[in-house]
Amino acid sequence: MRRRASLVLLALAVFCAAMAPTLRWYAFPRLAKIPPNQYQETVLEAKPATLLNYSTLKAEKVEKITIIQTLKGNVEESRRIERDAGRDVVVWDALAHVTGPDGKMVSQIPERYIFDAHTQDPVHATGESVDGDPVRREGIEFKWPFLTEKRDYRYFDAQTRTSAPIHYKGTRTFRGMEVYYFEQTVPWTKVPMPKTMPVKGITPKLLADSGLTRWYTTKRMFWIEPVTGAPVNGEEIHKEELRNAKALMGRDTLTVFEGHVKMREDYIESVGEMVAANRLTVLLLVSYLPWSLTFAALLLLALALWLEARSRRPGPRPAVTPVTPPV
Amino acid sequence: MRALVAAAIGLAPVLLFVLLVSVVDLPPDGPTSPKPLLTADPGPKK
Repeated sequence: MRRRASLVLLALAVFCAAMAPTLRWYAFPRLAKIPPNQYQETVLEAKPATLLNYSTLKAEKVEKITIIQTLKGNVEESRRIERDAGRDVVVWDALAHVTGPDGKMVSQIPERYIFDAHTQDPVHATGESVDGDPVRREGIEFKWPFLTEKRDYRYFDAQTRTSAPIHYKGTRTFRGMEVYYFEQTVPWTKVPMPKTMPVKGITPKLLADSGLTRWYTTKRMFWIEPVTGAPVNGEEIHKEELRNAKALMGRDTLTVFEGHVKMREDYIESVGEMVAANRLTVLLLVSYLPWSLTFAALLLLALALWLEARSRRPGPRPAVTPVTPPV
Repeated sequence: MRALVAAAIGLAPVLLFVLLVSVVDLPPDGPTSPKPLLTADPGPKK
């Protein structure tokens, strides 16, 4: 009986010992993925900000600028690309819509970002674009990979349409959560005019023909929850100028927008809650279950060996009964 | 010999699981959200 029990325990120990690494290194990379139909909006604000008033052609201090950023997973497009790519693909149609204090549009930039659902590596396919211009992304955008590492990543900048390193600057605590802090500075760079302008009659071509050029610099900051790779906070110190503007606007350089853009408090809270829930699921696969199974395997093996040893021990000797001599 | 059989019995479900993960596709995640790309502040997040 003991022998049978020890064999059952041994089978269970082998199961646990084999399942632990299987979950971590085989199942997790295949099961953890970004859903293709994700929809997420984020509101960021710069309070106060400097904004070009196109009617007076002067930069003015305004109470706030709002940036409404939407990410929408395009399932039909992701399925179409998956057929050619042979892997799980996510297609995000994104829109960064900027409004002034009166709620009127200041600028908007649509994007299509295509990436691997498991690794977040960019996937190059027709339709990958920024503001209608085809681009070829290198590195990441919006989100870091699952199990983010303490190292620099390449981050795609939609304004310059180029990728540059975003530097890991240390581990911080953000609202009680351990996060990795990343920072990228884009130096003053000439960038294309947005296709959608805030004033009717002014087109990017008209501005380009007048010799105006648009320049931009930013310091980008991200607080990343490393298990899910999700940003729990983001800020940007952003500055945009029109240069070579003397002929048209009387001054060589005009500030179009300047401000410290921060995620709005209600969105920080909402993202934090979502990340905490997803973090638990990922941790189950990469840590909690594999470690529990490892400990269970050791315990079961020890029990199996102990039972086996007991079953092999010789039983107690029969008591010697004194022989009474015949009378 | 019995111990080897027990180990094989323990390994079998793991191999089955590996096979299952490699062969079976994850359930589909549903269609594209009908919500639009926003061009106005949606207000406070609930």
